Amino acid sequence: MNEPALIQITIDGRPVQARVGQTVYEAAAAAGIHIPALCYHPQLKPAGACRICLVEIEKQRALQPSCTFPVAEGMVVRTDTPAVVASRKASLHMIFSERTHYCMFCPASGTGETTDCELQKLGYEHGLDCWAYAPNYRKQWPVDATRKYFVMDHGRCILCRRCVRACEDIAANHTLGVNQRGARTMICADDDVPFGESSCVSCGTCLQVCPTGALHDRQSVYLGHESQIKRTPATCVGCAVGCSIHAITRGNHLLRVEGDWDAPNGGLLCAAGRFEVVEPKSARILQPLVRRDGQPVETTWDDALTLIGTKFSEAHLVAGVASPRLTTESLAAFECFFHDVLESSEIGLLSGEVPPLDLGATASLRDVAEADCIAIIGGNPLQNQKVLGHLIRRALDNGARLILVNDEATGIDAWAEMHLELEDISFHAASPFERLKTTYHLRVSGLLQLKKAIESARRPVLLYGSGLSSSVYAALRTLPEQARFLPLVKGANAVGAARLGIEARPVRGDALYVLLGDDQVDGLALPQSEFTVVHAAVRSAWTDAADVVLPSPTWAEQRGHVFNLEGRRLPVVPLLQPPASVPAHGQTFVRLAERMGQTLSPEALAQLAVQE
Amino acid sequence: MPNKPTVASDWLAGCAGCHMSLLDIDERIVALLEQVSLHATPITDLKHPPESGVDVGILEGCVNNSAGERVARQMRARCKLLVALGDCAVFGGVPTLRNGISCREALRRAYIETESTAEGRIPNDPELAVMQDARALDQVVPVDVYLPGCPPSADAIFFALTELAAGRKPALTGKNLDWH
Repeated sequence: MNEPALIQITIDGRPVQARVGQTVYEAAAAAGIHIPALCYHPQLKPAGACRICLVEIEKQRALQPSCTFPVAEGMVVRTDTPAVVASRKASLHMIFSERTHYCMFCPASGTGETTDCELQKLGYEHGLDCWAYAPNYRKQWPVDATRKYFVMDHGRCILCRRCVRACEDIAANHTLGVNQRGARTMICADDDVPFGESSCVSCGTCLQVCPTGALHDRQSVYLGHESQIKRTPATCVGCAVGCSIHAITRGNHLLRVEGDWDAPNGGLLCAAGRFEVVEPKSARILQPLVRRDGQPVETTWDDALTLIGTKFSEAHLVAGVASPRLTTESLAAFECFFHDVLESSEIGLLSGEVPPLDLGATASLRDVAEADCIAIIGGNPLQNQKVLGHLIRRALDNGARLILVNDEATGIDAWAEMHLELEDISFHAASPFERLKTTYHLRVSGLLQLKKAIESARRPVLLYGSGLSSSVYAALRTLPEQARFLPLVKGANAVGAARLGIEARPVRGDALYVLLGDDQVDGLALPQSEFTVVHAAVRSAWTDAADVVLPSPTWAEQRGHVFNLEGRRLPVVPLLQPPASVPAHGQTFVRLAERMGQTLSPEALAQLAVQE
Repeated sequence: MPNKPTVASDWLAGCAGCHMSLLDIDERIVALLEQVSLHATPITDLKHPPESGVDVGILEGCVNNSAGERVARQMRARCKLLVALGDCAVFGGVPTLRNGISCREALRRAYIETESTAEGRIPNDPELAVMQDARALDQVVPVDVYLPGCPPSADAIFFALTELAAGRKPALTGKNLDWH
């Protein structure tokens, strides 16, 4: 791609180099000149809605919104003249008087520089000590609290439309819009239905861009200002997309999760990754439990490990099951313990089947968002890899073709240009006879149609699910070279587990070790065994049924890595301090090996994990 | 105490928090009293501003009934400069939350329709104040100086009062401007 031409402009008397296509706001920001704005957000397309960023541009009749005004050679811009400041103050006064901006009971309100509200901050900066225009004291603005995780208070809305643009441009969900015109304008969902009953999927992108307290998170509201919290870049282990997150913590509590704008997920998260992870879980397991007379009884680590050591030594075959949410380091320790200490290869992953990873060049998440042709073969990314689903829909918004090869409805069917069945692309369908039929302009087989679509695309991406027949995978291997592949893996670190040789499969043994971590077991049946150890963070049906329960750290208390579906190695960062009685998984296996008269060195475990 | 500017204050529909914040200027009140002469306040014995008038009148709270309106008008008539102290006086504040329910509806619900009331009636003794919508002070009388905050900090109040004592109209900036 050619670099855009450079031009010279002047901002506040300073010569500034700008690129053709930039707006005045962007050129100023790049030169370190801050222009106050409310509707502008670096991740969103500019809208020119708030009129706060108006600047003086020579040869222009009136003040112009810098966020939408393109730069031109020789342009002379002034951002701080009395006229500009007066206009900005007038706009602020009008915004403040429009709705009920009673800051004193708004969660975003703060003192001086600690406020989380961009409107209040500008009010302070511009010396507003009263409202020039009284609001309508009788008017009550609705509060929409129909969504589970976040609330919309229209009284605090400034109609900047950041949420609308986030829903459109980032989430590609197109739920939000505006209703009515002028002073009656309201942010609305779908055909003006309550948010909770709309097509909103609670991805929370709008919440992350709202400049005021209009959208606020129920779980973290009033629990701390930006100035009081700690922000840690980390990785979500909700699924194999491996979204980069900012975990917001305070006093060893996880308050909120936000998407990392600069990561491939581009700030996007799903409701599970953003909100559900913060929800209260069932009771935490803090001490080992041993079943005595049918009842789980708290015991010491020593007693629990001795009992497990004895039982495992007596057992013929110890089987192991691990959660795909665990770090590669934990899984490596698990594998090593079974292989070296128990000499058992009866280990499997709880869930998260991984399809073949060698079909061709791997696509990145960015490739998906920028693809001009997307084929989904098996799998259901809208359901199982939701952020990927948003990226797919963003590509479709930009004109990408969608080809579905699936035997089930996936929620994206309406967008598909071509819908084939898996049987249509099975490799045998492209037999010489089929090719012959093509030659004679007879029915083109599914695989040939797919090939044609891929060939005519410049950036084609194929997303394929697990558990498909080998003939389908074989067919996919024959696709043109420009096709990039992304496996629709379910378990967060199933790819990391696959690299260690741990696959999702049923296991059986007369003793069973379940390394569950904080994974959910809803509805899953605990494999039958005579002696069962469940190593878990919280109480569940499985811990209730276990003979011994060992306390485990949660995802937020571990250090290590996971491999996402692109095969990227992502850091898992400890966000919270685990309880003193809860050691890391590796440490537990080292101690357990000791009880069984063997040695697992922590260094060797660490080495194993790094080897990938 | 000639030549010192005279100050009086009163409160309307507020929580008295702003006056508590005024007291939070602690020992600086001595320095302040050297510069101004304090007349009637709700926290001293004298309750009404003198008929002869004061230089600076300070009102806390919003106007939400006829009694408050009378106090506001009397203060306005008896002072040269009127200061709106705190978010309720400046913006309307917390009491405006009730504006969503009309006065008539609220009174009917409270005095007639409550489940425990038999043969209720809305009090209408002429001595009682009549309920009104909650409004900022400047919706009732002209205000000269705004001192927002919930409550304004003691520093902001001290700054504003010393500026007024020095004959300047206070311009709140930085930490003093904080209506949180």
